[in-house]
Amino acid sequence: MRKVIVHPQRCVGCMQCMHACATAHSKSKELFAAALESPLPKARIHVGVGLFNEGFPNRCRHCEPAPCQLACLPGAISRDVETDTVLIDPDLCINCASCAMACPFGVIRYHQHCYAPPGKVVAVKCDNCFERQMQGLIPACVEVCKAHALTFEDPSRALKRRTDEVARSVSPGVLQTDLAAGFSVLNAHKRQQIEIALRRSQS
Amino acid sequence: MKHVIIGNGIAGISAAEMIRQMDADASMTLIGDESFPPYCRPMISMVLEGSVGYDRLPVRGADFYDRMRIQPILGNRVTALDVDNRTVSVQGEHNISYDKLLIATGADPRPIKANNLHLKNIFFMRTAEHVRAMLEAVPSARRALVLGGGLVGFKAAYGLLHRGIPVTMLIRSGYPLALQVDPRAGQMIQDELVARGLDVRVEVHVIGFDGNSRVRRAFLSDGTELDCDMVVIGKGVTPALSFVPKNIIQVDLGILVNRHLETSVPGIYAAGDVAELIDLARNTRWVNAIWPEAVAQGRVAGMNMVGRKVAYKGSLSRNVIRIFGLDVMTAGIVNAPHDGPYEVIARDDPLRKNYRKLVFLEDRLVGMTLVNHIQQGGMLIAMMQSGRPVNISREKILSASFNYRQLIR
Ligand SMILES: Cc1cc2nc3c(=O)[nH]c(=O)nc-3n(C[C@H](O)[C@H](O)[C@H](O)COP(=O)(O)OP(=O)(O)OC[C@H]3O[C@@H](n4cnc5c(N)ncnc54)[C@H](O)[C@@H]3O)c2cc1C
Ligand code: SF4
Ligand code: SF4
Repeated sequence: MRKVIVHPQRCVGCMQCMHACATAHSKSKELFAAALESPLPKARIHVGVGLFNEGFPNRCRHCEPAPCQLACLPGAISRDVETDTVLIDPDLCINCASCAMACPFGVIRYHQHCYAPPGKVVAVKCDNCFERQMQGLIPACVEVCKAHALTFEDPSRALKRRTDEVARSVSPGVLQTDLAAGFSVLNAHKRQQIEIALRRSQS
Repeated sequence: MKHVIIGNGIAGISAAEMIRQMDADASMTLIGDESFPPYCRPMISMVLEGSVGYDRLPVRGADFYDRMRIQPILGNRVTALDVDNRTVSVQGEHNISYDKLLIATGADPRPIKANNLHLKNIFFMRTAEHVRAMLEAVPSARRALVLGGGLVGFKAAYGLLHRGIPVTMLIRSGYPLALQVDPRAGQMIQDELVARGLDVRVEVHVIGFDGNSRVRRAFLSDGTELDCDMVVIGKGVTPALSFVPKNIIQVDLGILVNRHLETSVPGIYAAGDVAELIDLARNTRWVNAIWPEAVAQGRVAGMNMVGRKVAYKGSLSRNVIRIFGLDVMTAGIVNAPHDGPYEVIARDDPLRKNYRKLVFLEDRLVGMTLVNHIQQGGMLIAMMQSGRPVNISREKILSASFNYRQLIR
């Protein structure tokens, strides 16, 4: 089964995934039309800024077992086995924020959205683009991420690639893989920044 | 293996599900006092408030017991536990034998002493049945009296205010929810409630009631009287363990359990509101009577009962409350003593109604209070539960823009 995998070291912090996510979870599915909708579509992936200003696309990990699911008072959170997705039922949600207390990654937000009963504030988080996947599309954030910080693939394949990368990095003479492919100037600058900041914080 | 579970609250239900998940052949008997299908106890106050219907309370289907192949014995209480013969007796009638026993009996409302408590419309608020009875009194209620400012008293008051019924609340400490929140957040909550018609009286208690079959008046300890046609007693809860032989099974406030949720008698387990175990923030034994703990403890007890030696790290008190325009989330130590070993940092922005307080013990986070901007509070709670040293700037954590990226290197 393919899953969204986050490669934080590649993120350039451009926030394209947030726009794509908000659009994918709008009525119109069109960026400009979506911006005029009410309730205003909101992203379910959150690009946070790190201690050294580096970006990080934070999204639901669809944990198993999911702490939010165990904590949800009315039982509004369930798992779709087919897509391995933790889903929130907006009809059952009582907006109690028990899930905010349970989620160790801080990825749940509370607002109205176009699939929820009108006017009702509910818990909202990544649904792995459930609707798009049913249509044979891949999640919108992955599709739009040009830095390949988000990929949609079999976790075992991704793990194998990561192992190879590590192996390459410890065997001398092999080129390191790019932080974000195609962004070499930005990467060089960013790596420098991270290294300087790290050194500062250690001294 | 014959498993017997006492209590059909969420701790008992979660344990039963875990047992069935891990052992398809286990025999399970569940004895529960309430015959309503497994339901969400915290939501009863929302039924009182009118924001959800009675039909939304169940958290499992009516076919739950069939599906889990559980033999249910409902509508009766266990009255005795015979540890030597490994049996429990229900209402003194029949004895049920067990190989593994789980006590998940939760807690009962703490009774009060006052005259004429038998009058109608004096309520506890613990069960779906209690709230059903309260709803009958609501239409004719013109003034309600709530005794106690704990979670239940607060929720009762909030629900009644929502229905437009003026409420007087008698509390011992200076502000409501004194066990759940710190004085600053408590004041913010009180201000919000007072603005909606709550009348708070501090340091008075009820000595008696008066009325003609129904309650009409309350007599207070300061000599005053108060007209009221509805009373809710919210003076806290006590673990429901009257049937537990205290000379055999170690009991403090709750039933003492180890990291496997096992009591001092091998083969007998306890979980949920009735259990007392190590508290991660306080580093001492504590009863944390909250829903997420009951779920987690029930699951771990279930695993251990089928022979999977899973250890539970410990419990953590935590709460999240949304009232009118205020979101309040707290966890761990909220009221750190000034002369203690704790380091407290706080940021208060009254204009934006934004307040954050963190409590540290050496390099660990052991307590937090957040007013508004609560959506990422789970990260802080996870930090407290993991007990890992906090090696990033504390000021950054105090900022509302704190996010997951800052936790990882
Ligand atoms: C109004 C209200 C609001 C709450 N709000 C929140 C909240 O917002 N967040 C939160 O985390 N927690 C909240 N709680 C607390 C939460 O409901 C409890 O922590 C949780 O239900 C505990 O589950 P439990 O299974 O341990 O016990 P219980 O839910 O008490 O279940 C125990 C069951 O065992 C039965 N029983 C007891 N003794 C016997 C016996 N001898 N024989 C047979 N059966 C017996 C009882 O009848 C009961 O059905 C609230 C509680 C109340 C009352
Ligand atoms: S919302 Fe948080 S706790 Fe729930 S599955 Fe996603 S990452 Fe896990
Ligand atoms: S806010 Fe909604 S999804 Fe989250 S725990 Fe409460 S009811 Fe469940």
